[in-house]
Amino acid sequence: MIDAVMSDTVRVILVLILITAALIISTRTLSALVRVYSIQSLLITILACILWFMTREDTLLLIAAITFAAKVILIPSFITGIQKKIHIRRDLEFSYLKPAGSIVVSLMLMLLVYVVFSGVFGSFATENPLFFLGSIVGVSLMLMGMLVTFSRKKTITKVMGYLSMENGVLVFGCFATELPFIVEVMILVDLIILVILTTILTIGIDSSLEEFQERLVRYHIWPSGEDEQ
Amino acid sequence: MTAILYLIAGIIAFSLIMILKGHRSKKVILILHSAANIAISGYIMFACAIPETSGFFRVDHLSAFEAGLSSVVFFAASLYAGGYVTRLIETGELNPKSLRLFYGGFSILMTVTPLVFLSDNLALFWILAEITTVVSAMLVASLAARENIDAALKYIFIASTAMLFAFIGLIFLFEMSRTGGGAGTLNWSELMTMSQGFDPAVSLAAFFFVFIGFSAKSGIVPFHTWLPDAHSKAPSAVSAVLSGVLLNIGIYGIIRVYAIIRQVPETETAGMFVLFFGILTVFVASMMMLRQHNLKKLIACSSIENMGLILIGLSFWTPFAVFWVLFQTLAHSLTKAELFLSAGIIHRQYKSENPAEEDVICDAFDMQPAASVFLVAGALAITGTPLFPVFLPKLFILLEAIRFDPLMGLLILLFIAIASFALFRFIWNALSCRSDGAGIKKPDHYPVAKGMHIGIVFLLVLMLYFGIMVPDWFYNYLNMIISELGLGGAL
Repeated sequence: MIDAVMSDTVRVILVLILITAALIISTRTLSALVRVYSIQSLLITILACILWFMTREDTLLLIAAITFAAKVILIPSFITGIQKKIHIRRDLEFSYLKPAGSIVVSLMLMLLVYVVFSGVFGSFATENPLFFLGSIVGVSLMLMGMLVTFSRKKTITKVMGYLSMENGVLVFGCFATELPFIVEVMILVDLIILVILTTILTIGIDSSLEEFQERLVRYHIWPSGEDEQ
Repeated sequence: MTAILYLIAGIIAFSLIMILKGHRSKKVILILHSAANIAISGYIMFACAIPETSGFFRVDHLSAFEAGLSSVVFFAASLYAGGYVTRLIETGELNPKSLRLFYGGFSILMTVTPLVFLSDNLALFWILAEITTVVSAMLVASLAARENIDAALKYIFIASTAMLFAFIGLIFLFEMSRTGGGAGTLNWSELMTMSQGFDPAVSLAAFFFVFIGFSAKSGIVPFHTWLPDAHSKAPSAVSAVLSGVLLNIGIYGIIRVYAIIRQVPETETAGMFVLFFGILTVFVASMMMLRQHNLKKLIACSSIENMGLILIGLSFWTPFAVFWVLFQTLAHSLTKAELFLSAGIIHRQYKSENPAEEDVICDAFDMQPAASVFLVAGALAITGTPLFPVFLPKLFILLEAIRFDPLMGLLILLFIAIASFALFRFIWNALSCRSDGAGIKKPDHYPVAKGMHIGIVFLLVLMLYFGIMVPDWFYNYLNMIISELGLGGAL
């Protein structure tokens, strides 16, 4: 009985995660985007906790804790801070795909992932329908994040796409297999370095060159120095 | 435990670079660090008992070979970097306060790269490879010009998003090892021993994902779009490393996982897949080279072409082809580093005031005689002229392709010929331009520091050494790698 309730809850959360992914694709206000990412990460935290109840693998609890600390609190607040400094509120520029088109494309991608995975996994799909669904949602989330990374022009939105992709890998990892804890930590280190570097560079890309040096100095991100010639 | 030596040398060098003030001391520390890395690599390659496993790291012939090769390229780039950076500061392109960032970043890259090759665990390999992407992107952006930041971001986004796909592939491998052997593992050495029981369909899926990730790191078409920008905008000492070392990381990852997958029965499709992308890469790169008007971009496109050729050789997975793939890795790294370092001097000499315009190269032999000669030598070498090391692998990979399918082999030959033509046409036009009567204003002479020339000559000597004779020790070394990759008998 409890197991059935748990599986249903997991299904609901997976659907909610997909909805957040769709929101990330279509949201244009950057502060809302960060909030959606934060909610998505919170959902993954809850998901990991429920999976822990079901499987009792302690790694999942550690993953939940680390996801909560880093992705619900640390990274969103860092990005919000940067955003305030560079005064970009909305990202209205899209290359290739507009949000509506992206959602249609992501639906098709989901279908494709389903078809391919059904072929590759075979027996796993019928024996473990819940875990099979989780793997598909994970990879779909990843592909939707990729759409954001390549269809938006502002770097800070691209970063959000990358972060959402990484959440997809995490979901996939939780369902497909029990990865060693160290792997999760490693990915997180990578993620934090990447976020910091790209946001620093973002300050440069959305300003003219002269402003860039000035901004870096003003926000104490880069050491101060002589002006560019 | 030998892997830790790189880490110790790196930590010492990085701390000194951060603590010591003044450009000269940073320059010296960087050169000493690269020399230390060469010494460690020499020890690992020839003195230490191979294979050696310790924790997450493992030394075998392939990893030691790649680590050694990277140390050599880093050494040449370090010799070159000092003089090059001095001039960047004089012209105001590099902020003197960014020196720590540049030298510190270079030192981190130099420490992490050999560790990437020595990591036994595929997850650790993945994370270290990601760190090399981030650090090298930082070095590309160290000039803080808008184009550089653009190029760095493009590099990060394409390489990192693709690497996430590779991670999915690694999860597949982990799951297969878990269902097959009880405790899951990501150690490639263990995966090699248990791979025969893997499911062919899942193995292929794993390889496809891994291939997407690692091929983006190596600039394989269609994930190559970051490469010409990043390689051409980076300071030349960094370009040399990007092309001569960092591209090898992706190929190394592909070789490792491909070796595992090819042991699984009924996975020959993976070979066709690799072959297709190899040919596509050579084709696209040669077409790109025909349209190029920028020296550094042209050389960057030639790197794409060479990576394609390496994939083609790899796809056949015969001891003969893999032998020449490994030889080509060495030849390409040395030659491409030499080319980028020489092109760096020419580029600085003729750098256009307006970044949107191409440099006008004229009277190069009068202005930079040595660099012009080096450039011609490098161009001859990379197109596969005899006496240079690219000649033999190019010839034999082509012969293997012709043996596989004559028509396909001839097609690849045609693409390679187009690429060579494009490179030579550009260099001929550039170096034969005379300003007499053409009304072109001569730029001020760009003073070249001694170290810059020494770095290039060092690479040239090595190129000739491996080009004129295939040394016995090297021949045996490559054969050891081939047998360790599960290809059975040596050549």
